[in-house]
Amino acid sequence: MSSEPALMSLTAVAQAIAQKRLSSREVTQSCLDRIAQWQPRLNAFMAIEPEAALEAADVADAALARGQNSGALHGVPLAHKDMYYEAGKVVTCGSHIRRDFVATSTSTALQRLKDAGTIRLGSLQMAEFAYGPTGHNAHYGAVHNPFGIDHITGGSSSGSGSAVAARLTFAALGSDTGGSIRMPAHFCGVTGLKTTVGRISRAGAMPLSQSLDTVGPLARSAEDCALLTGLMAGADPNDPTAVAGPPPDYATATREPIKGLAIGIPSGFYVDDLDPDVARILDATVETLKRAGAEIVQVELPDQRQLTAACQLVLAVEAAAFHKRWLIERPQDYGPQVLMRLQNGLAIPGVLYLEAMRWRGPALAAHLAAVAGVDAVIAPVAPVAAPTIAESDVGNGPDAEAVIQRLTRFTRPINYLGLPSLAIPAGFTGKGLPVGMQLIGRSFDEAVLLRIGAAFQRATDFHQRVPVLS
Amino acid sequence: MTKPTAKQIWAIAAVGGVPVNPDVAERIANSIGPAFEGFAPVAGTLPFDLEPAVFILVQGAENLKKAAT
Repeated sequence: MSSEPALMSLTAVAQAIAQKRLSSREVTQSCLDRIAQWQPRLNAFMAIEPEAALEAADVADAALARGQNSGALHGVPLAHKDMYYEAGKVVTCGSHIRRDFVATSTSTALQRLKDAGTIRLGSLQMAEFAYGPTGHNAHYGAVHNPFGIDHITGGSSSGSGSAVAARLTFAALGSDTGGSIRMPAHFCGVTGLKTTVGRISRAGAMPLSQSLDTVGPLARSAEDCALLTGLMAGADPNDPTAVAGPPPDYATATREPIKGLAIGIPSGFYVDDLDPDVARILDATVETLKRAGAEIVQVELPDQRQLTAACQLVLAVEAAAFHKRWLIERPQDYGPQVLMRLQNGLAIPGVLYLEAMRWRGPALAAHLAAVAGVDAVIAPVAPVAAPTIAESDVGNGPDAEAVIQRLTRFTRPINYLGLPSLAIPAGFTGKGLPVGMQLIGRSFDEAVLLRIGAAFQRATDFHQRVPVLS
Repeated sequence: MTKPTAKQIWAIAAVGGVPVNPDVAERIANSIGPAFEGFAPVAGTLPFDLEPAVFILVQGAENLKKAAT
């Protein structure tokens, strides 16, 4: 056991508390100590609630002493992206507009984690209304990358990526509409699961695009993501899009070997024009998976540029529709880049939006046919490691769209198809910045992704590297 | 399909109830141009009997396949 409880994995710390080898207070205090050290450098937290967290930890410890264990995460302190409604709490959504918004209900995903025994450390920073891929926020400042303070975290789950990487929280909820879990996972060196559309209820999660939004975890390992996803997945009367039926046993899946699984590697779109470090790490990842027993197969995917474009059309229109009232009444209260992107949706004709929605079925069928012979596809999350905050702080200037497009190029097609994708830390650049790879699965097959991710993490230690406070 | 001009965007936004000034319309035209161009091979080619819910059907078939294994 580590001398610093905050450095343990979610799975390990939950077991340590349940077995009374550690108290929830000791664990919570350890997280709070690290938050006090790192927060001034990272700006990862939106709100920190030390007194309430310690009080809740004492309640959890007292309950355990009486033999009352509330669930798989009894007494484990966590913090989440500040867009999950929790009754009675301010939920800013990273915005000025909702700076004082107090939720009156609790999101299903969050409630299920609370029911499993988690306690709240505070809330995490994010891109304004989850509409930004870099980690900049015009109202609350940029979130910083623990592996390179001058570099971006990626967004929109910027605080989640930064805080999990720095071991300030054992895991965090993010959301992924165009890459918002996978990019922070990639840039910050943590594991992030974008779930299939419909796998986890979105009730009580701030909406950005009803067709594309997904809820998922960022954590330190595939095993930890499996634990969280298993707790959150399943039908929900408050969200008719959440699929019925019991979710698979993800935790068991992470312990299975990958011998005999086929992993596809696409050509063209996902491998052209990569930064040399990313290309090198992709090759090394494929070799590691091969050594672990996977069969590597070349796959030819349909034109991904058309999927990217369709994703943009759907996202832009749905986001503009959600925000229309505020675009009329409070345009001055948005940051410049978010306002710019929301305004984009105003210019897309209804027929074009519906064509993009109608094409989704055939596009998914074509993709599934192209990957019929493989269990998953591997691809980079982004063509580059984390750029600096300065070079990517483009606001609403002429370069803004190009920067956004470059960062989200490999993630958006997956959102349009509604597929699951697991981002795993796969290596580091010469400058010490993390690089992640994404494993893309078939609809509702998160289990195979977690299985491959866990096998990769048994063979490597990239996910265990802890950033050092300079 | 061609990308809309700034003038067309100005009109669409005004009809939609959120008017924008000409500078913003120009910026939007540049910003969304690549999405229009990228989707151009698909736009106007879809068969008559295709509706958005087909996506749910394709996805659901995958889920049933998973459940059966």
